[in-house]
Amino acid sequence: MRRILLVVIASILLLSGCVTKDETMTGHQEEMTEGHGHDDTKITKHFDNSLTKLTDNDLYSLELVIPNKNLMMGVNTIEIIVHHATGGDVAQAEVTVRPWMPSMGHGVMEKPVITERGGGLYSVDNVIFSMVGHWQLQVGISKDGKEDTAIFDFPEIKAMGHEHAMMNAPPPKDLDYSTMKMTAHKTYNVMYKSTSGQIRINRIHSWELMVKDADGQPVNNAKITVVGDMPEHGHGLPTQPEVTMIGGGIYRVDGMKFTMPGWWIVTVSVMAEGKHDNVSFNLNIL
Amino acid sequence: MSDMRNYSSRVIGIAVVVCSLFVIANIIVPETVLSMDEHTWSDQEKSILRSLWIDSLGPLPTDPSNKYSDNPEAAAFGKKLFFEDHFSGNMKVSCATCHREDYVFTDNLPLSHGMDTTPRRSMPLIGVAYNSWFFWDGRTDSLWSQALGPIESKLEHGISRTMSAYIISTYYREEYESLFGPIPEITEDKWPQTARPAQDDPNALKAWVLMTPDQREVVNHIYVNMGKSIAAYVRTIVPQPSPFDDYVEQVLSEKYMTSRMALTENETAGLRLFIGKAKCTNCHNGPMFTNSDFHNLGLPHNDDMKSDTGRAGAITQVLSNEFNCIGQYSDAKPDECLELRFIETSEEKYKGAFKTPTLRSVADRPPYMHAGQFTTLHEVLEFYRSQANNPELGHKGLTDRELDQLEAFLRTLSSPLTSFQAEAK
Repeated sequence: MRRILLVVIASILLLSGCVTKDETMTGHQEEMTEGHGHDDTKITKHFDNSLTKLTDNDLYSLELVIPNKNLMMGVNTIEIIVHHATGGDVAQAEVTVRPWMPSMGHGVMEKPVITERGGGLYSVDNVIFSMVGHWQLQVGISKDGKEDTAIFDFPEIKAMGHEHAMMNAPPPKDLDYSTMKMTAHKTYNVMYKSTSGQIRINRIHSWELMVKDADGQPVNNAKITVVGDMPEHGHGLPTQPEVTMIGGGIYRVDGMKFTMPGWWIVTVSVMAEGKHDNVSFNLNIL
Repeated sequence: MSDMRNYSSRVIGIAVVVCSLFVIANIIVPETVLSMDEHTWSDQEKSILRSLWIDSLGPLPTDPSNKYSDNPEAAAFGKKLFFEDHFSGNMKVSCATCHREDYVFTDNLPLSHGMDTTPRRSMPLIGVAYNSWFFWDGRTDSLWSQALGPIESKLEHGISRTMSAYIISTYYREEYESLFGPIPEITEDKWPQTARPAQDDPNALKAWVLMTPDQREVVNHIYVNMGKSIAAYVRTIVPQPSPFDDYVEQVLSEKYMTSRMALTENETAGLRLFIGKAKCTNCHNGPMFTNSDFHNLGLPHNDDMKSDTGRAGAITQVLSNEFNCIGQYSDAKPDECLELRFIETSEEKYKGAFKTPTLRSVADRPPYMHAGQFTTLHEVLEFYRSQANNPELGHKGLTDRELDQLEAFLRTLSSPLTSFQAEAK
């Protein structure tokens, strides 16, 4: 319901006003904001609490709307309104959104899903932040061969506490539940299995990880961390697992426990010989 | 009375349905059509029903920290201690004061009252052995160490472990010694009866530290064995199959006709909500309907409750508890203490969080929540609906009718309990 309402409001606003580089706006929204890095540019926003930005080469103006007010660790949905910097909707553009963690040098495996709503409005679902910390959203706009990019910066993406969370995103369709995957930058191949067979809810159990490099050789002496996250609820495992090396590329993870049924993401991060990469596994706990 | 009426109308209604279905099924309608109604469950739903079914409960989990936990003599001894009101400052309070056998082993008060009023509600003991953590905040990691907490609490039993050892040596010596071996005379002059390692009573603490190390060891040993005996009894308090369990059994064995006798349409609709739209199984999962974890629901609280940090305040308590699984009084090997070893130590995450309680026999034991905030199941469900923005709950968009159906379903979780009964000699 809320989504439909938002789209309707956005459509009405887009018909009557738009984002331009100069100040010839029909003032449906009074608030004026300065775009970052473009101090001479005024952008009129359609929404309170939205973020505005001109693309790096000043081709497009972007307004990023966060329906739930705050982006959080887990799965998020955003809306992007795209206009030509000189005015006018940008319809049928190729829009890409990439969550990126600059300090870690990685993003996430799951790609956001972009749906054009008309009037320059694009919904972006499945924006996943797999851990807390400094994240960026790298937005690319391409239309009639004119490509440009912008980066929205979020210095502190937080985990949702047990008490004040605002999102409840359903799992994306067609999730990849495979137990063997390449890491995000194809540095390692990681396979996991539960040592006690089928993973059962509310039981402390152990995993075995098999870590290989891109050539299929076992990776030993890696520093491995395992983080569990429940995107629909914004919290992690009720335990703090421990990882020990067995040898031959095999690592044992003790202390895994899932206390809610549904979609979990377990992110395994591997650091060996100075190369850091990670991989996220989707699990459906019954 | 209303139960009887309910039951007979149910039987008549079912008889009519069953008869007409037999007729229809035999004449024209194929089996597939017969099964397409509110009693039809997908394979995924059936696997959830199976996971909630009492037959999935399995035997009592072993407690490696208590080698007496399955000892019938210890359970018989523990049962006597459970009902013994000598273990209290006013000779009137026993474990059974707040864990009443006639009230599903809890009581009917919002805040329990022993020697004085406590800050929380009494926990139900039904199926308690299946928990990972004990108390509302999980400040102990075994049933036996849980049993020892209230005895030295000023608000509950209000006596000391030294006094407890004195009572054992005076009134229960024979039974105790046959189980745990000989104990010395505990005399009032050499064993000050207030002595305990108290943080809230300097005189009691002084008396405790002035006893000899050997004396303290004797007292602790007796005290621990009391706890282990009480735990051996309390862990036998388990639920019997409820109407819900009978229903699941019928559904899983594909007895479409008889499954209709176990639950009404309203109750079945409530069950469907419980495992589906209302997302109750997010936390109330497994055959005991609890994930044994801790959650902050954003419950209403008064000024007294405000300072109760719940699980957050209990993490250091359970780690430093002398009676925990890795302590010297535990019978477990350190690598058997999994919950303690992998404990989540984030106080931030567990601020104001309390344990998910079991829902078995929930309708028989109001009031509800950790401080008895609600007096009826209806109020509880209304509260959950009001928390639409809490993703832990996510009970969005439930109608009044659906709340009634959920309540009807919750009432099908009631069943008789069984507990240890000493064999007649």
